[in-house]
Amino acid sequence: MLYLYTLSAFVAVIVLIFAAPLRWKSRVSLALTGAGAAVGSTLAVKTLLTGQTTHLWTLFGTPFGIDTGSMDPLSALFVVIISIGSIAATLYSRGYLAHYLEKKSPAHISLHYVSLTIMSLAMMAVVISDGGFSFLFFWELMTIASFILILFDAERREVQRAAMSYLIMMHIGFVLLVIGFARLETLTGSASFEALAHYFGQVESLPLFLVFLLGFGMKAGLFPLHVWLPEAHPAAPSHVSALMSGVMIKTGVYGILRVTAAVPEGQMLQNVGLIILLGGIVTGLWGVILAAAQNDIKRLLAYSSIENIGVILLGLGVAVLGKASGNEAMAAAGVVGTLLHTANHSFFKSLLFFGAGNVLSKTHTTSLDSLGGLGRHMPMTALLFLVGTVAICALPPLNGFVSELLIYLGMLKGIASGSNTLSSVAALSSLALIGGIVIIACTKLYGIVFLGSPRTHEVAEASEVDNTRIAAMVLPLAGILFVGLFPNVAIALIARAAGFFLGGDALQPIAQLIPTFTSVSRAAWVLVAIIALMAWVRHRLMKNRTVTTGPTWGCGFTATNVRMQYTGESFSEGLQSIARPLTHNFGTGESIGKGEIFPREHKFHIHHRDRIGRLLSAWWVGSLHVINSRVMRLRTGKINHYILFALAFLALVFVLSLFNKL
Amino acid sequence: MMTLLNILLLLLVAISIPGVINRTRALLAGRKGIRFVQHLYNVRLLLRKGAVYSTTTSALFRFTPSVYLGAAVMALLFVPVGDLPPVMSFDGDLIAFAYTLALGRVALVLAAMDTGSPFEGMGASREALYGALAEPAMMLIMATMALISGNTSFESLFGEGEGVELRYTIVLLLASYTLIKLVFTESGRVPVDDPRTHLELTMIHEVMCLDYSGVDLGMIKIAGWLKTASLSMLAADTFCAAVGWGWWAAAPLAVLLSGVPIGVVESTQARNKLVRNTTFILTIAALAALVFFTGYLMQLNIVLE
Repeated sequence: MLYLYTLSAFVAVIVLIFAAPLRWKSRVSLALTGAGAAVGSTLAVKTLLTGQTTHLWTLFGTPFGIDTGSMDPLSALFVVIISIGSIAATLYSRGYLAHYLEKKSPAHISLHYVSLTIMSLAMMAVVISDGGFSFLFFWELMTIASFILILFDAERREVQRAAMSYLIMMHIGFVLLVIGFARLETLTGSASFEALAHYFGQVESLPLFLVFLLGFGMKAGLFPLHVWLPEAHPAAPSHVSALMSGVMIKTGVYGILRVTAAVPEGQMLQNVGLIILLGGIVTGLWGVILAAAQNDIKRLLAYSSIENIGVILLGLGVAVLGKASGNEAMAAAGVVGTLLHTANHSFFKSLLFFGAGNVLSKTHTTSLDSLGGLGRHMPMTALLFLVGTVAICALPPLNGFVSELLIYLGMLKGIASGSNTLSSVAALSSLALIGGIVIIACTKLYGIVFLGSPRTHEVAEASEVDNTRIAAMVLPLAGILFVGLFPNVAIALIARAAGFFLGGDALQPIAQLIPTFTSVSRAAWVLVAIIALMAWVRHRLMKNRTVTTGPTWGCGFTATNVRMQYTGESFSEGLQSIARPLTHNFGTGESIGKGEIFPREHKFHIHHRDRIGRLLSAWWVGSLHVINSRVMRLRTGKINHYILFALAFLALVFVLSLFNKL
Repeated sequence: MMTLLNILLLLLVAISIPGVINRTRALLAGRKGIRFVQHLYNVRLLLRKGAVYSTTTSALFRFTPSVYLGAAVMALLFVPVGDLPPVMSFDGDLIAFAYTLALGRVALVLAAMDTGSPFEGMGASREALYGALAEPAMMLIMATMALISGNTSFESLFGEGEGVELRYTIVLLLASYTLIKLVFTESGRVPVDDPRTHLELTMIHEVMCLDYSGVDLGMIKIAGWLKTASLSMLAADTFCAAVGWGWWAAAPLAVLLSGVPIGVVESTQARNKLVRNTTFILTIAALAALVFFTGYLMQLNIVLE
């Protein structure tokens, strides 16, 4: 039945989108995604409220044995996240692709929308599969759809490169997952996550866990497997970046959550917790330091996604350590923080990528140092982006603060109880440092792009985007405000998903968080009220005062111009002076020489690249070239040689089959 | 009632600290010094003035003083005076306190960038960097308190009358010392920054407010006092927790613990070269880590032979 449903959905998506008139393709895509999201979310909300698992399908005779799909509270939470993110991205694509409609062929546009719709639906299918064949099938479908989506601007060379490196890295991850599931199937006869839990209950197998962690970590952007992220996001159209960064990498988090939940309490869980915590610390710090160094909006946001995955894993590590040591308060705060941060990140990162898309489509650049002063020309975009910036900096009263507070609370509980003191304090100081540097990165992003004066005249002529794009941005905004101002309600909603992770009907420790967060909610409202009060007092005081305007005070220097503004590079110079060893820095172009008394025109760019990315790409691109050239020697073009190869292959198969008997 | 007393004492502390700093400096320089409440008159003057805005700035610039002051007031609501109950208290409010102050910082950094002035950009960049580096120190001190007392909110950390075990006294005194060092960095005092110079020469905090005037500048100044007061009060609370004193000691201690050292340091030392500030702040973080580990070892009760 599943085959039939999938195939018919597939055909329906393709036929409907290809058949639709050019300007209706986005609407058809939105309707199809919306229908999928509506069906999924209705069931998901019911599951989250009642906590009952709904069985969806059973397949017999797949390569991985019996294959099932079902919606439990954890799947339900992710279905909701995916639904919101997909609808917002599809809605946004309408405005964003409007001016491409004439430039690209209708088939090209159709292919893009087909991939967009299939990707959204495939992501939902991934999180309701119980593992094994259907999981891998939808996982691969999601990868291929996102690959086509990245390739939208396929004429550009860097887009091709980014898409290829994405495809290669995703398949390395995929192979790891296949190995994991195949091994699981040989060991237990079934390849579902349930079988994994059963297996881990009998045998403590850290290698199997690591295979899954690396396979899912590739999608999530776990250090050092994150290198595809900062390449793929700038290459993809902005709504695709939003969908990939906001939603798709969360399927990696989902996988890690599932596999971690399968580990029973014991020594292995303790080790797993330490591994995840360490991975979170390194990923978070690496991502944020690189983010602060970037001078391109989308690269900066991509690194910030890596950082947020780090924070999510930090929270998960805290939760696992709490579970392993029987500290319920710590585990509950950690896992609720992890799940909430996953949702929160999808809200504010979608919003920020949409904002980046607005800037790109109006100014045709994402380079920080050509932008500036956009707040005047694009007031709505600037305001929404500001909210996203405050949220991603984890500042009260918005949602990022709530989830980080939960994670901090888990760590403090660990420290206060004395059971996981050292690991908790390492995580605590790392998260504090991450939080501090995020502020550098995001104030840099917002300040250079939207504040000050325009640095080029194209930017000075930018105008606000159309209303559909603003509407698409309001959707994640609603999530940001809801979680920020009503954290107690949000926690109550996801309590069952978190309870699933803690095992059994462990809702008691989560319920204990709710009174605390009722106070946090009150505090958020008080903060809003105080700020409003201050603004009102200021307004009253300013009445009947003489207000004049003038140029910015140049400290006595009167010939200031826009080129003298602080740049993105100079803004993060202080941090760079400390973190220089972590990035690979180089300049292109020619700087002004010391001897030049009357300097000519110069072009000079500073780049901060990822040392890991450079290491990996240099290593495998080089060896692939070598292997390729060796293999090409075999391609002689003579038929007798080829027959020889076929014979050699057959012989090899026979020889290998002898080993099978041993 | 007690909460009202708490707020009143905090406001008194906020007003007194700048006065004590000025008095200390005057005393050391052999001057008679200005009135104790002169800074209040200065701000009153500012609040009566009109304003000049840069044409580069947007609405964000005009909204920032409200956010900055609002965040400082909010942070104050979390702070207890000794064993008095604060206005607001919940599990993890120590984190909320630090992040509320960060909200004010972000607002001011963005406002500085809104002017498009390179000077203010410099100030903003430094403020963001030093804030980021100071954050782990702050959190480590909070973690130390949580470790020693087993509690995770300010009220339960400082409110319980019985005091801590004797062995932790030294750890708490060190924590208090570290918090005072953080007061120096967070309020931009010598040796991190020198607020006394002509505005352009003050490299971090004051330079960010170059384009503010009148009511706005007044609000930013008040917010600065409140911020200094809340951090000093935490240092005093920690001190009082170490020696087992109540709120009656915490309030005057908060004024003296930060006012006198700031005055003395400003009279005797010059500002750091800016590149040394990172080292200075990272040293505070290292000190905080040391404080934590001392507390941890004491908790494990390791006896050296």
